[in-house]
Amino acid sequence: MKIKEIVTDFFAENAPFIFVVPAVLWQLFFLYVPLCLVVYMSFQYGAEITGFTFDHYKLILSSSPYFYIIGRSVVIAACVTCLCLMCAYPVAYYLALKVGRRWKNVLLFLLTLPFWTNFLIQIYSWVFVLDQNGLINMMLLKLGIIQEPLHMINNTGAIFFVMLYYYLPFMIMPLYSILEKIQHDLLEASMDLGATHWQTFRRITLPLSMSGIKTGVFLVFVPAFGEFVIPSIIGGAHHLFVGSLISHYFLVARDSQLGAAFTIVSGFVLLVCALLFNWLCTVPLQKVQKAEQKELAS
Amino acid sequence: MRSIRFDNITKYYHGELVIDKLSLEIPAGTFFALLGPSGSGKTTLLRLIAGLEEADSGSIFLGDEDITHMPIYKRPVNTVFQNYALFPHMNVFDNVAYSLTIRNVPEDVIKEKVIKILHTVGLEKHIYKSIQNLSGGQKQRVALARAVVNEPAVLLLDEPLAALDLKLREKMLIELIDLQSILKTTFVYVTHDQFEALTVADYMAIMNDDGEIEQIGTPKEIYEFPVSTFVAAFVGTTNLLKGTLHISGDQCHIEFERLGTFEVACSLEKEGMRDGSMVFMSIRPEKIDISKTPLTGFSNMLEGIVQSIVYHGRSTQYNVRLKNDEVVQVFEQNEEHFPQETIDYDDSVFLYWQKENVVLLEK
Repeated sequence: MKIKEIVTDFFAENAPFIFVVPAVLWQLFFLYVPLCLVVYMSFQYGAEITGFTFDHYKLILSSSPYFYIIGRSVVIAACVTCLCLMCAYPVAYYLALKVGRRWKNVLLFLLTLPFWTNFLIQIYSWVFVLDQNGLINMMLLKLGIIQEPLHMINNTGAIFFVMLYYYLPFMIMPLYSILEKIQHDLLEASMDLGATHWQTFRRITLPLSMSGIKTGVFLVFVPAFGEFVIPSIIGGAHHLFVGSLISHYFLVARDSQLGAAFTIVSGFVLLVCALLFNWLCTVPLQKVQKAEQKELAS
Repeated sequence: MRSIRFDNITKYYHGELVIDKLSLEIPAGTFFALLGPSGSGKTTLLRLIAGLEEADSGSIFLGDEDITHMPIYKRPVNTVFQNYALFPHMNVFDNVAYSLTIRNVPEDVIKEKVIKILHTVGLEKHIYKSIQNLSGGQKQRVALARAVVNEPAVLLLDEPLAALDLKLREKMLIELIDLQSILKTTFVYVTHDQFEALTVADYMAIMNDDGEIEQIGTPKEIYEFPVSTFVAAFVGTTNLLKGTLHISGDQCHIEFERLGTFEVACSLEKEGMRDGSMVFMSIRPEKIDISKTPLTGFSNMLEGIVQSIVYHGRSTQYNVRLKNDEVVQVFEQNEEHFPQETIDYDDSVFLYWQKENVVLLEK
């Protein structure tokens, strides 16, 4: 009896801690430990020869092709993110603020429909659409609009387009969930105080949806930066991205040490990008506010 | 300060008729209360003035200007919303300054105006506080300041005090009256609370469940001389007894079944008040005197048995069952610590009233 009480008391008192333990352990063994292993590996000579070395970093930091690949990944990921944001915002805005409740659920369901299909199948089906003998070319040839098949695959444009297609829902969802929480009477109050539709959007809707924009940008930018499936399927072998190079080192070239070093370097670049974006979102705004307050206080 | 005139306004809401051919004039510079039960369309009237809804037919005039189809942001009308609708990402100053900022008013003018109005509403110590850190009463004041800082021709208040506790509500009511007398703006105050309406209004309109206006007048007129049983029962508490009217010369009597005949004053007689017609007699509970012993000097008297007693502090409410099983409410002021006669449950009592203190109503 007494033991039972002690056990129950222990669980009752430490419940929050007990529930947190599995998640922490998971993170520890599947995120932090592997990360440490990667860092450790990046300072090793090779699989056979053990010992500490900076050689891999020296190699990466001294040769321009690596920077070119990282740069290209950043630019593509940034462009995809920007375009996703521009396409997603009107959709999310319309869904959250303009559509009636019944249609909202239908449209949201349609939006999540692609997730029901395997990722690889989604990407491969684009090959069948864009290919030389693909759907679009066949239709255009039959209709007599073109004489020669269009070259629509194995180029950066195709990669860009398919990435946009794939990542769009990841941008719409966080935007939708934040826009839906905006109380309608705030927009009414703004208009009532004399603001036009555009001014209301600029001064009320946009600032209030900032956290959704941030989430969406991270959800798209981070995986888009490391994307290697879409470039390798849609872009062919010629378009190397950060993700494709890392997978090449680990799976094909079997040079895990160089791959690890490259992973660390590109991870660092990603971190810098994230910090830069975060700074862009908050600091200029705060600066303006602080300046105003200072002026008013004087 | 401008007047508002509704001219044959009709409004459907989700296919349902809310307001049917309503006409109403709100005089310039007055504190006007729109009082009605929830769902009576009073908020819809307010939203029509603000431009948040558009009328299906009819016209709305602000002074001499037809504003029926004017876009919301062009109307010189501001609203205090029920749940304040303060912008959560701005501090007190930016909220209040909003209407000036979007009009590109010079910054020094904005600063001057905002600080002045924040002084008026007593928020000068909280200028840079975040909205989240304010109490309910403070939020209310920010909403008020934000709505009046641009000096609108009309200020609309949509149940502005509904979220506050009783003491604070009473305090804010007095502040609202003061603010209106300083600004001289036309205030339109929507509420379902008759106490609030009676307290603040210069004039008030009573709306019924069908979105019609039953009566317009000063609070005193509405309370003392209601035109219908709806108004009599909605504003304050009243006793309604149905009986037959008898008119002989300049003498009027009303006959209640199983209770007898009582003298009533005829001076308030309206059209349709004919000999033999069925009418309601409305008498307020505080206008009846209650006693266990017979009194003199009253024109009318009824007998009954005390069914229940509710002690309110400043007054006591007696529910008295009459011979015809109807129950009449009586309020007695508790003027003394030790009253000479104490009335208890099941006591047999006499109810007295003066014939001038009753109102006869057709419907």
